[in-house]
Amino acid sequence: MRFIVPIKQVPETNAVRMDEETGTMVREGVESIINPLDLYAIEIAIRLREQHGGEVISISMGPANAEKAIREAIAMGCDSGVLITDKAFAGSDTWATSYVLAAAIRRIGDPGLIICGERATDGDTGQVGPGIASFLDLPLATYVGKVEHVDNDVCRVRRLIESGYEVLETDMPAVLTVVKEVADPRLPTLRGKQKARKVEVPAWGADDLDTDPNRLGLKGSPTRVVKIFRPQVTRQCRKVTAVDEESIGPAVDELVEFLRQRELI
Amino acid sequence: MSNKYNAVTDQIVERLVEIVGEKYVLYGDAEKLEPFSHDEVAESQYAHMPDCVVRPESTEQIAAIMSLANDERIPVTPRGAGSGLSGGAVPVHGGIVLLCDRMNRILEIDRENLTVTVQPGLVTNEINDALSQYGLFYAGYPMSLETCYVGGNVAENAGGGKAVKYGVTGRYVLGLELVTPTGEIVRLGGKLVKDVTGYNLLQLMVGSEGTLGVFTEITLKLMPLPKSSVDLLVLFRTAKEAISAVPTIMTAGGIIPTAIEFMDQSSVRASCEYLNESIPYQDAGAMLLITVDGAHEQQVEREYESIGELCLENGAIEVYVADNYTTSERIWKVRRNIAEAFKVVSPHQSLEDVVVPIAAIPDMVDGLGEISGRHEVQIPCYGHAGDGNLHATPVMNPAWTLDEWHEKLPRIMEDMYKLTHSLGGMISGEHGIGHKRKKYMNFVVPEASLEMMRAVKRALDPNNILNPGKIVDVNDAS
Repeated sequence: MRFIVPIKQVPETNAVRMDEETGTMVREGVESIINPLDLYAIEIAIRLREQHGGEVISISMGPANAEKAIREAIAMGCDSGVLITDKAFAGSDTWATSYVLAAAIRRIGDPGLIICGERATDGDTGQVGPGIASFLDLPLATYVGKVEHVDNDVCRVRRLIESGYEVLETDMPAVLTVVKEVADPRLPTLRGKQKARKVEVPAWGADDLDTDPNRLGLKGSPTRVVKIFRPQVTRQCRKVTAVDEESIGPAVDELVEFLRQRELI
Repeated sequence: MSNKYNAVTDQIVERLVEIVGEKYVLYGDAEKLEPFSHDEVAESQYAHMPDCVVRPESTEQIAAIMSLANDERIPVTPRGAGSGLSGGAVPVHGGIVLLCDRMNRILEIDRENLTVTVQPGLVTNEINDALSQYGLFYAGYPMSLETCYVGGNVAENAGGGKAVKYGVTGRYVLGLELVTPTGEIVRLGGKLVKDVTGYNLLQLMVGSEGTLGVFTEITLKLMPLPKSSVDLLVLFRTAKEAISAVPTIMTAGGIIPTAIEFMDQSSVRASCEYLNESIPYQDAGAMLLITVDGAHEQQVEREYESIGELCLENGAIEVYVADNYTTSERIWKVRRNIAEAFKVVSPHQSLEDVVVPIAAIPDMVDGLGEISGRHEVQIPCYGHAGDGNLHATPVMNPAWTLDEWHEKLPRIMEDMYKLTHSLGGMISGEHGIGHKRKKYMNFVVPEASLEMMRAVKRALDPNNILNPGKIVDVNDAS
């Protein structure tokens, strides 16, 4: 079975600084890594291949140096990767990104499962996975915490929902977005790193994909970033203090009264 | 000379308030003073309450405090972040704890001389945070770098994980301003790379555990920041295989790694379980964590590859590679959380710090296993394999009562220290003696050397008021 894992290269969050004037992220000199939530997608894809055979292909749309993310994915155990890069893709929103990734998956062909991370730690939208499903017209299961069964016809997964879990069965091929509990990502090995260095990673541009030029990049993106700002957190704290046995009673009374007034108990 | 000290009276407190201001004297509130009665040494018998805590903000204030304390015969214990592991900052005779937390500034970054001058209360990590924009770094790397103060690092001559390549704190101390026990302000060294002008008093102060002077300014040597750094986590079947690989890496590989950390099976298990870490540690009898850094990515790549290959040739099960901050953190966390993880097994443990010549490490590990079996006590062993410094840590057998533990621990320690000595080692590589290990000094240090130490202490601190009761007792003179 062919497992395709779209990944994103993001700035290492530990090193991120904000430009106070523009409200945007300073990307210069910041180390880039695989979006940490994509590691879970890579891991589950590798495990499924280990169980069912086949291949794992990781793809990433981004600047030329996103090739590093693909090589890291190969070092972890992916079989190959494709870099999708072109000036025409610059400024893509989640719609235009999903559109291009879907076109790339179409060119790879014959997908079994397309497995995405839940969201990227920089954009934080969680829309690209569902977007790909939509452009490819494939069934989608989001927030998957466990892949219970996969064969050529059916995939059964356990999804995380607000009130608990939900078990879904879909036709194949299908798109999944996975959450952390799906599998703990492995570390890249020395042998993996050595292999990743040698593997050829093809780069596909707009001309290599069957796409409409008007739907690419900034021009093809319906989303406009109008303003970036920091939300004001307005939490008012009231402290109830008890320092010895005598003050415990009154402090508890005060707390109970406080919660009662707000109809919380 | 006697240990009869005067108590801190209301009058003394008034004079301290005159020196530093009312806000910066803690007195009379046992709850607020308690945090200053101990450091990170877990056992409560090493704790002792101070009479008061004073928080000066300048050299002059410290000089005034020392001169007052010297006149009045009141013991003074300097304190940094309190992250020490030998009781160095514990006021064993009460008196004044001199807290340097307000003196936390970087005074100068001198890019032409490659030095930085800081105050003692600066958190060590902040030095490198400030320097990275200039492509420079300070190579001192104690494992507690996110909390400890640089003043404490110098006082304890802190080592840490990167000593294999970069050495310990003392190598980077070029200059000190300090206040003597009698209240004089003295400058030693400066910004000189070479300096043999007289006795090396500067390095006498480094590692003096706050017994010879209170540091007020520290000038440190800087180096170009390595642009690339990669960590390898190497799994071995046995501790012996892991440890035996270390000298091979250093000699056959022709590369001095930045760090070679060793973790035995029980350490790895405890830490991985504590962290919920899924590295396949079940098959591993021991792990090495190896760091390589350098100016060029390709060079570092070649070096880690040849070290990794050597490990595989020497029986490693697997070599994991972490070349970005996220994965590096993931594997260093395993190493850094070992002590914390064993607190879950039992809060009663004795974090030890023995150091042996690197070639003796396999024998040391074997011997520790034997002691562990004989005393029926877990002694997880981890530490800086590349420099021979092992944190063998007896952890109380949960089946024992506290009394049994207190009765057995000294015998375990004696056995460990005798083993260390027989292998040409010493009882502390980087944590220091403090009062925790004082009674074991004569296991490894000849009387003539102890007497030299006492002579130094007597000469510089005639009234024995600065951090008395640490390292050696001046009154023990033979």
